[in-house]
Amino acid sequence: MHIIRYTYPTARSLAPTTAFQGRSPWAGLESEIDRLFANALGEFSEPAAGNTFPVDLYEDKTNTYVRAELPGVNRDAIHVEMVEDNLSIQASRTQKTGDREEAFAFSRTLSVPENVQADKVSASYENGVLTVTLPKREEAKPKKVSIAVN
Amino acid sequence: MSLVQSIVPFLARRPAPAAELGATVKPQHTLREAPDAWTLTVYLPGVTKENLEVTTEAGALSIVGHRVWQQPKDWTALYRETSSANFAATFEYDLSVDEEKIRAELKDGVLQVTLPKAAALQPRRIAVQ
Repeated sequence: MHIIRYTYPTARSLAPTTAFQGRSPWAGLESEIDRLFANALGEFSEPAAGNTFPVDLYEDKTNTYVRAELPGVNRDAIHVEMVEDNLSIQASRTQKTGDREEAFAFSRTLSVPENVQADKVSASYENGVLTVTLPKREEAKPKKVSIAVN
Repeated sequence: MSLVQSIVPFLARRPAPAAELGATVKPQHTLREAPDAWTLTVYLPGVTKENLEVTTEAGALSIVGHRVWQQPKDWTALYRETSSANFAATFEYDLSVDEEKIRAELKDGVLQVTLPKAAALQPRRIAVQ
């Protein structure tokens, strides 16, 4: 059994004294609260990296775009392929820390809309973000037809 | 410093930078130790050198990265996994880091911060007279 005795702060214990050497009597409580918040809010940080990476899919009138966050990857180590309606992105990163070298491989396959001109797909890599542009087929583009109303 | 602030130091602290940045997200990072330095690797995709702030103050290294890319007006997002929030992270260090010699390098969205260990704390041989 544990007996915990709580003492209420008195005027003496609250007054800043030299005994604390500039440290507040609440310093321990404060760091405890910080720790609680860090534990609770730590969930909001980006998900841990496995062998996948986050992608975004956008479209405008003429193209579909895939943006993938791949920081620190060499351009030569990125392979983008179109297999039927699937876009596959493979990348690897080597990281040097001192004399050690670590390699990470990432791969992801996404299904893209059917109306893509697979032979005209292009990709660019800048600041750790890969953008793949997938042009839409002619017939897929919206056609404007004005109809006369009689 | 007022009495209240000396009792509750929290009130004397600067407001978190997140207040001006809006919602922020903590970037992925790794920390590695070598005999003479620590290496902090922070992944900041889409951040350029001009949009990155690395500051040290009172034993804390803070990193704020703004995303440069904005979704063009005529683009429609069909599916998203990334966030548009800016990156922000603060790392605290103690006296074993030589603050004057901290170096940072950004390449392809990866920031490498080298925190050399203070020479005063490295083992030293004392000659006996």
